[in-house]
Amino acid sequence: MPILMLLSLAVASVSAWMGDGARAEAPPPARRTLEDYRHFRIAAIDLLGRMPTRDEIAGFERSDFDFARWVDRALTGPAYTERMTRIYMDVLRLEPNLNFRNATSELLRHEVLGPDGKNVWVYYRENQRRERPETDGEFCLSPDETGVVIRARQPDKGTPKKVTKKTLDQFTVAVRPWWLYRDYKTREPKQLYGTDAWKNADPQYRPVESLVTEDGKPVTEVRVCREEASARDAGHVYASGRTKPPPKDAKLPGGRTRPPPVDSRYATQHQGEEVVCATKLGLDNAPDCGCGVGLERCIPGDGNNGGNAFYFPNHMPLGPGYPLDDARQRQERWFPYWWSREAVHFLDDLFASDRDFREILTGKQSFVNGPLAQFYGSIQRSNCCGPETGFGMLQESEPLFEPRAVPEDLEPQDVSTWKLVTDRGPHAAGILTMPMFLEKYASARARGAALYNDFLCKSFVADNQQLTASTEPNLMVRPGCKTCHATLEPLAAYFARVEPSSFVFLPESLFPVHSTTCKLDKNGRLNGGCNALYDAAFADAKSATLRSAYGSPEHADETPAGAARDIVAMPEFAACAVQRVTSSFLGRPTNADDQALLDELTSSFVRSGFKMRSLVKAIVLSDAYGKSNNLASGTWRGGSQ
Amino acid sequence: MRGGLSVVAGAALALVACSHPPEVVYPGPKQPIRPSAVVAEDTAPKEDLRLVPPEVYMRTYLQLFGGLAPLDVQKRARGGDGAALFDSWDDYVSALGFPDYRLDIPRQTQTNALMVATFERLGVALCDRAVEHDLKGPKGGGPPAVAERVVFAFDVPRGEIDAQGFATRFDVLHRTFLGYPAALAPSQRGARFYQLYRDIVASHAKADPKSRFTPEEAGWAAVCYGLVRHPEFHLY
Repeated sequence: MPILMLLSLAVASVSAWMGDGARAEAPPPARRTLEDYRHFRIAAIDLLGRMPTRDEIAGFERSDFDFARWVDRALTGPAYTERMTRIYMDVLRLEPNLNFRNATSELLRHEVLGPDGKNVWVYYRENQRRERPETDGEFCLSPDETGVVIRARQPDKGTPKKVTKKTLDQFTVAVRPWWLYRDYKTREPKQLYGTDAWKNADPQYRPVESLVTEDGKPVTEVRVCREEASARDAGHVYASGRTKPPPKDAKLPGGRTRPPPVDSRYATQHQGEEVVCATKLGLDNAPDCGCGVGLERCIPGDGNNGGNAFYFPNHMPLGPGYPLDDARQRQERWFPYWWSREAVHFLDDLFASDRDFREILTGKQSFVNGPLAQFYGSIQRSNCCGPETGFGMLQESEPLFEPRAVPEDLEPQDVSTWKLVTDRGPHAAGILTMPMFLEKYASARARGAALYNDFLCKSFVADNQQLTASTEPNLMVRPGCKTCHATLEPLAAYFARVEPSSFVFLPESLFPVHSTTCKLDKNGRLNGGCNALYDAAFADAKSATLRSAYGSPEHADETPAGAARDIVAMPEFAACAVQRVTSSFLGRPTNADDQALLDELTSSFVRSGFKMRSLVKAIVLSDAYGKSNNLASGTWRGGSQ
Repeated sequence: MRGGLSVVAGAALALVACSHPPEVVYPGPKQPIRPSAVVAEDTAPKEDLRLVPPEVYMRTYLQLFGGLAPLDVQKRARGGDGAALFDSWDDYVSALGFPDYRLDIPRQTQTNALMVATFERLGVALCDRAVEHDLKGPKGGGPPAVAERVVFAFDVPRGEIDAQGFATRFDVLHRTFLGYPAALAPSQRGARFYQLYRDIVASHAKADPKSRFTPEEAGWAAVCYGLVRHPEFHLY
């Protein structure tokens, strides 16, 4: 009985095992069976993250080895944290196979023929508003000036010609941007990347060569379209006076091949009013809105189709300190990469600090580094607002991560510095309101299903029903659908206020579940922003229901934070967590024979205040763990050589 | 004609079969079944051994390589000798069973042919580079002290070693890779590895020295191959 032997050892032990196995006055070795060695090896694999070394085995063989104490020590180590995070990363799979593409924050780059015949790189934003009709919504130099029709993500048309110095200076400006200068916020930035002036540069911050060198020499400043270089925080709504597109055969100004944009209703109604530059509204309406000081609200790319921006690894299964490769990555992958790291940091902290496990859903805290501070501070706001403006939301009024919660002392280049944010804001709900979760599970139903599967260990299984043709929009009652959707739709409703494929939060004050502003027109349709945000299938001539909210209007108003509260209060939550961890440590699915063990573990897990460390200790010291996976024990004793 | 004989034979067999009385399976005889042997019931839960997580495999591999970072291991394993012992981690990462969360590919929990081949390739690279480092010494500078060797932490005398000398050294490798003393292993394991060692030493001794290794180094490398590819190394 190894466990009895270990307990007796724990009692008899008078000195702690130090783990080095090489002390001078070694006590006599203890008698160890093959099962003992095996128990020690599986515990080392699970808690140290590797097989035991010879020294550790020597320590284990000593008669004063205290297994329980050894487990206690291992449970405070980084390998335990990594082990636990791995369980939930395997479940949630929070790594991005997605891009964050956003015209407001994306700087493209195109070359023009300079006055001296040399190529000049010019950075610009797609769809940037400009007061010149020749270039409004396009590159800042017209085809007549460059000889080329330059359009974002499109091949060039025409033959380049030299741009005069006067034109170049008039419509572009030299900037010392954040990706080149540590002190980009100062009036005269001097701390250039790759030079001694930028001391103690973060080794993991590595822009691609094409952004920091040109012809083998360091780039000291970049040329940017004048509008994009604007450092203002607020701009003004611009109305050009163009209310409808020109006739098809009309000659377009500046040689442009696409007509300049016409004024939106919003621009006409709000001409001259102030608008926040960090928002999509700013890009769409304000020529005096740009990328901010040192272009800090924008991410550079080295091409006209976005292009490469930074190096980071594709594979790092042992963490960022142990990359398996090193790859140039495109600009649109920069933030998704950090969203994933944020989720890992959150989980790591949850287990390393042995927090109440319910915080995985309810926790207000998170961790941010420089890029995430840049993202939450300004760039997340560029997701909003389009259809929301019709409801009076010109910028996100209640973001899931309040920008004011972002630490002020993080610069965008601080990629290795992670800081705790104790409270992201009133709508924060653990992993559920992180961009990585919301983008990975892009729809309200996907988010609800993830809750159900991952945190209640339940699956949606359709019953054996005859499917009949139906136009019933309510899936909770439609035959053949209701078996699953009667549960799924109310879960999805918790996420009705977080836009799909996004993380824009729709506050109740502006977007009531039942809106009387939105209603079906005489053709049975919703119009404008109503069509984007409200569901025509649940609307009539008097009102409309917020998309995804019909399953439970109450849940919609409870938001993801309410989902977190409700889920962790269910008895299945604790049982599911215990089952996942136990199954992972036993290395097999749990079955009916394990129910007594699971019940006991769940009971003590809840009593401990949902502390994972005590749960894992109980598992590792259990007889079931010590004897787990022994079908091939005959192999050990006499089969294979 | 042969077909006709077959039909006749088949019909005869059928008649014989049908002539037996039907077998009675229930109710059966009331007498208890006489035991043929008595063994103790093994009540331990029976589950198959599980695959060591790829993270654990890799971390152990890095540690056996001297505690280097993955890209440093890759550089050292590839070497500059044209031996093509190692490609790149990117080539192995999915074969080792790592999950790819981006593509929702789960971790592999069972071995497959490609994985076993990868274990073999990585194992051979580890053992060969360990022989070079531990027994030859870095850049031909002589072997490091025994205490500084990660894998072959014992002296390697020239010439033959007896079974006892082999067993002592084999125990070091056995503990390194499999986590327990060779004395607790199946009884024939030590003898079979000793035979492997002797065979390799003998074959290297009689051939022209085409190998970079001495016969003894080749012998220990082969023992290392056997352990690093052993199922007990990859399962737990």
